[in-house]
Amino acid sequence: MSDEQAEFKAKMQSYVDRGDEGIKTSWDDVNRPMIRHWAQAMGDNNPIYTDAEFAAGTRHGGLVAPPTMIQAWTMKGLDGQAPGSSTIDPMAEASELMVAAGYVAVVATNCEQRYLRYVKPGEKLHHRYRLESISDEKKTGLGTGYFMTQLLEYCTEEGEKVAEMRFTILRYKPGKREPKRPPRARPGMTRDTEFFWQGLHEQNKLLIQRCASCKTLRHPPAPMCPSCRSLEHDTVEASGRGTLYSHVTMHYPPLPAFEYPNTIALVELEEGTRLLAGLIDLSAEDLEIGMPLQLEIVRCDDELTVPMFRRAQ
Amino acid sequence: MNTQTPSNTYFDEISVGDKLPPLEIDITPTLIVSTAIASRDYQDVHHDKTRAQELGSPDIFMNILTSNGLVGRYVTDWAGPEAILLSVKIRLGAPNYPGDTMVMSGEVTGKREEQGKYIVDLAVAGKNKLGVHVSGTVEVDLLKAAS
Amino acid sequence: MLADKAAIVGIGATEFSKESGRSELQLAAECVIDALADAGIDPAEVDGISTFKSDNNPESEVHRVIGGKALKFFSRVDYGGGAACGVVMQAAMAIATGVCEVAVVYRAFNERSQYRYGSGASHKTPAHNYDGATRAWGGVHGLVSPASNVAMSATRYMYEYGATSEDFGRYCVLARKYAATNPKAWFYQKPITLDDHQNSRWIVEPLRLLDCCQESDGGVALVITSVERARTLKQTPALIRAVAQGSCDDQHTMTSYYRENIAHLPEMKLVADQLWAMSHLSPSDMQYATIYDHFSPYVFQQLEALGYCGMGQAKDFIREGHLELDGSLPTNTHGGQLGEAYIHGVNGIAEAVRQIRGTSCNQVKRVQHAVVTAGTGVPTSGLILGQL
Repeated sequence: MSDEQAEFKAKMQSYVDRGDEGIKTSWDDVNRPMIRHWAQAMGDNNPIYTDAEFAAGTRHGGLVAPPTMIQAWTMKGLDGQAPGSSTIDPMAEASELMVAAGYVAVVATNCEQRYLRYVKPGEKLHHRYRLESISDEKKTGLGTGYFMTQLLEYCTEEGEKVAEMRFTILRYKPGKREPKRPPRARPGMTRDTEFFWQGLHEQNKLLIQRCASCKTLRHPPAPMCPSCRSLEHDTVEASGRGTLYSHVTMHYPPLPAFEYPNTIALVELEEGTRLLAGLIDLSAEDLEIGMPLQLEIVRCDDELTVPMFRRAQ
Repeated sequence: MNTQTPSNTYFDEISVGDKLPPLEIDITPTLIVSTAIASRDYQDVHHDKTRAQELGSPDIFMNILTSNGLVGRYVTDWAGPEAILLSVKIRLGAPNYPGDTMVMSGEVTGKREEQGKYIVDLAVAGKNKLGVHVSGTVEVDLLKAAS
Repeated sequence: MLADKAAIVGIGATEFSKESGRSELQLAAECVIDALADAGIDPAEVDGISTFKSDNNPESEVHRVIGGKALKFFSRVDYGGGAACGVVMQAAMAIATGVCEVAVVYRAFNERSQYRYGSGASHKTPAHNYDGATRAWGGVHGLVSPASNVAMSATRYMYEYGATSEDFGRYCVLARKYAATNPKAWFYQKPITLDDHQNSRWIVEPLRLLDCCQESDGGVALVITSVERARTLKQTPALIRAVAQGSCDDQHTMTSYYRENIAHLPEMKLVADQLWAMSHLSPSDMQYATIYDHFSPYVFQQLEALGYCGMGQAKDFIREGHLELDGSLPTNTHGGQLGEAYIHGVNGIAEAVRQIRGTSCNQVKRVQHAVVTAGTGVPTSGLILGQL
């Protein structure tokens, strides 16, 4: 850990160590209509939530609220937190500092609930909360970040604790990893062009069609040589060196298979033919016509491999 | 509403390694929105497709309170109305988007008698076509045997 | 020779909108009937139809619904907006050779409300034919929209000749100025400034939103007949002095990227050379031009291909005001496809007819001859209209 990181972590830890505790109250008592709504929405037919007569005959002794619903009672809803709630929020304060440091993304990762007893209609709940822990910096599949855990204790008006919850979020710097995208459109192929795609996908080679008679190179491929009209042709493998002949930067309309802005090049290969190709690690402002480029053959998925280029070293 | 009287699963009847019957849940926009509102979670990504897309998701997606609620339901569907959930600990993975189907599965991983309670440990998972949406453990207190 | 054998004697159109609220066939029928009424010809007389390959309304069906009796000539021209003057050429040839007597051309679509024409195809299931294989070169990288195809040429044009986005913007401001005084234009009373252009968002760099034509719902039709018949009709005829098509060496559709120089439009040069030869006229004989403006940079390359200025000099030609109403070549006085509507160039032919008749809302003084071009970046076409 660098000094800088250590300092940052220490600052984060101070929010935990401060131990600030707040209270959030609920707008409503635990009540049958909200329970019924929950049970119906969840498709939960357990009669102990909705059938008073049945529930009375069980060891619950009467209607109870679904235990997993505990969090809902003190959620702030549309009109903000219920009256009497605290405004302190160590988690938000720590988050603010993290956002400033580039940990802009957040995702809920874990929720652990323990139920001391089931609550019943008519009870009024509140919860006490505090920031319980902040992890060291972790590398995750989403990016590098910190796990922050808040402890919430649910209590009745009389102060009896009925449940507790540890709710963990990951606040992270989104990784470079490409988000999951639908696959790119498959290339249409004819007998004239399939060698090009097969060369990329099966041989990891960028192939250029060559007239077997007059040796003229051509791209896009064609069945006949426009120079000598020969129908005979073979291929040569491109060296992979080229220069930027022209380019565009796509913004709109976005296709889900691509990241935007999407820079696309017309590359002039050193062999003399041109081809369209995607660009790697080159944004619009980096592009200069004539700049040297180097081929990188990129496997997109199990069926498709495409030619892309990056700045030549 | 199901009018059949649900049956209970008893502590003495089960063994470690027993599988819970799988449950398929169609992830519809109605399910996502109605459960988000039932859990009083009004975050726009759980009901407003346009907003969800602006924030980089392909569609609205299920909120964590619902995933938690569905795990609870899945266990008590199997355990019956006499069961008492003691804890639900979940970890979230791939989002639940409309049009997907989540298949829930579970297995008994332990059973123990503790302070008069007959506690069964379960491992539960909900998988959709993107991967594991939710995985976790549940402790449930069952009746020992049919009286 | 095809020169001076036929004339445009009727023009008709629906309103131009973003959602017509009716079928494409209805739009076609409406604009055809409107054009025939303008010409003063009974719909039952229509015996020839030529339209775009990309039009969804069959010639026989349009003929049927307008109450046609005998259709003796029907044909289609390919390559999107490149067909605009080509369909007139088909009609003129059919009339000149006596195949038919009253020919109609039309283009009618709901390209905004039914499908976003400008988005380009993103063929999920590829077609394993020439078209699918050709789309694949750019398609696998996301280069699918017409704007992106044109942008590739525009980048090179800017590099070769030092043209800037502002230069392109000057044309766009002019088109919108004309549209602002054309009550039929979608952008009627909505002029823009160069700042508006420069502040409009990128569609595909180097093209901004305001460099791109509209997507429109609507239809436009023309009636074409013989010169002899034209003399007897109520409108001032627009004589077809010349009409030509062009496709060149190493020609591709929207992606002619493999030529020696991709900042030129040799197919339009081929069209222009034929037009000047067929009409025995020269660029300076034109008092008006409709230059196909799907994307502003191609207006520049067309002015150069037509011979109005040297390669790369269109930016100066436009800056000097030649396309203004009082300039040497007033251009796109209907507002162009940027300002009026995008009806694949047929609305631009109609404007040239109005200029010949003297009935444009932005009328140029004494228009003896007008030149019209069709869509570029594809095999294309052009025509010269004149007073009879």
